[in-house]
Amino acid sequence: MRILALLLLLPLLAAAEPATVIKPAELKQEPASDAATLATLPENTAVDALERKGGWTRVKTSAGEGWVRMLSLRLGGATTPKPGASGLTQAFNVARSGTSGTQTTTGVRGLDAEQIANAQPNPAELAKLEKFAADRDAATSFASQGKLSPTSVAYPK
Amino acid sequence: MKILSLLAGLVFAATAQAQFRLPNIDINKMVDTVKNVGKAVKDIDEPEEIAIGKDVASRLLGAAPLVANPGMQRYVNNVGRWLAVQTERPDLPWQFGVLDSPNVNAFAVPGGTIFITRGLLERMRSEAELAGVLGHEIVHVLRKHHLKAIQKGAQSALAGDAAAAALRDRAGPARDKLIAFSTEMYSRGLDKSDELEADRLGVVIAARGGYDAYGLPSVLQTLQAMNAQDSALALMFKTHPAPAERLDTLSEKMQPVLDAYSSQPQLADRFLRQVKK
Repeated sequence: MRILALLLLLPLLAAAEPATVIKPAELKQEPASDAATLATLPENTAVDALERKGGWTRVKTSAGEGWVRMLSLRLGGATTPKPGASGLTQAFNVARSGTSGTQTTTGVRGLDAEQIANAQPNPAELAKLEKFAADRDAATSFASQGKLSPTSVAYPK
Repeated sequence: MKILSLLAGLVFAATAQAQFRLPNIDINKMVDTVKNVGKAVKDIDEPEEIAIGKDVASRLLGAAPLVANPGMQRYVNNVGRWLAVQTERPDLPWQFGVLDSPNVNAFAVPGGTIFITRGLLERMRSEAELAGVLGHEIVHVLRKHHLKAIQKGAQSALAGDAAAAALRDRAGPARDKLIAFSTEMYSRGLDKSDELEADRLGVVIAARGGYDAYGLPSVLQTLQAMNAQDSALALMFKTHPAPAERLDTLSEKMQPVLDAYSSQPQLADRFLRQVKK
């Protein structure tokens, strides 16, 4: 029963991430610069990041809930990120690579500097890679399925 | 007094001679180097760029194979190819692969091959984030960042004639050396300016594809929140500027573009369906 309750809580916990305000930020009622300002959060305010919408992140603070500019936040708490957060991810990864079946050697990461430097050709995998390539037409219909419209945007100077 | 003027004369003569001689040597040497590099740059045409890229891609796949999930591989190819169509090199043989490694990284190989690791993909939340990272890698190919580094390095790693032979012949010891050298470059990284350029232009390419332009900054923020001591990040952090610097630079230079295209789709549901099952 306890485990079940814990499992039910998991998605909620995953959604809220600790974050820190890195430059003074206006807490807005809506994710827009012309929305009402609820408060101004000083540097180093600890908040919980809930979701992102474009350049805005919805946060929970002691001053209430609202939206701040995404780039005025640093995710991961006031000082260095808590080791627990990445520890969980690491445990998850170990479990994943254990069941993937392709990398059976324990402790092999595969893409460290040394392993890249000493890598030998793998023509069989190269042939697979070519097989998965998408042509222009396939990619275009994939984009329209996702309702993506191409936009003309110039490179910055 | 005489001795002093004699000394002054000697110093002057020596200086004059040095000024006369040294620049000549340096300029000659410089002209040679520029000629060699310039020649090598011209020598590598698009078919050759693609051929070198395939050899390098094969080696990277020797370091980590593809994730055995055809649906995921095709999905990433669709996103990547759609973005590539929006660029000045739409018809390269673009191909995208998810490497089976828990390390967090992505690689661009000359000629249009791009790899992303399972470790990085698993930390993303939406297709817009994937598009931001693929956009960054596509820029490395468009601007030939690695190819230029390979060309420069080949000149010093191999003697002039051997470098020419390695580029001309697609087999043999000189060619092996060139490809080994080119692959090793991925463990050392590019110039910082190349990485920051790939960030700026990558944001533009994702926006052109119709995605929320904040995808790349969002991934950088995720990386920033990770424990920097995590060994899964070691190579990526060694070969790239710190996430904080990359975010600052984007915020400083790209805020108008980011904001103009921030309400385009993120496609989180489609991403999660394809990647997290």
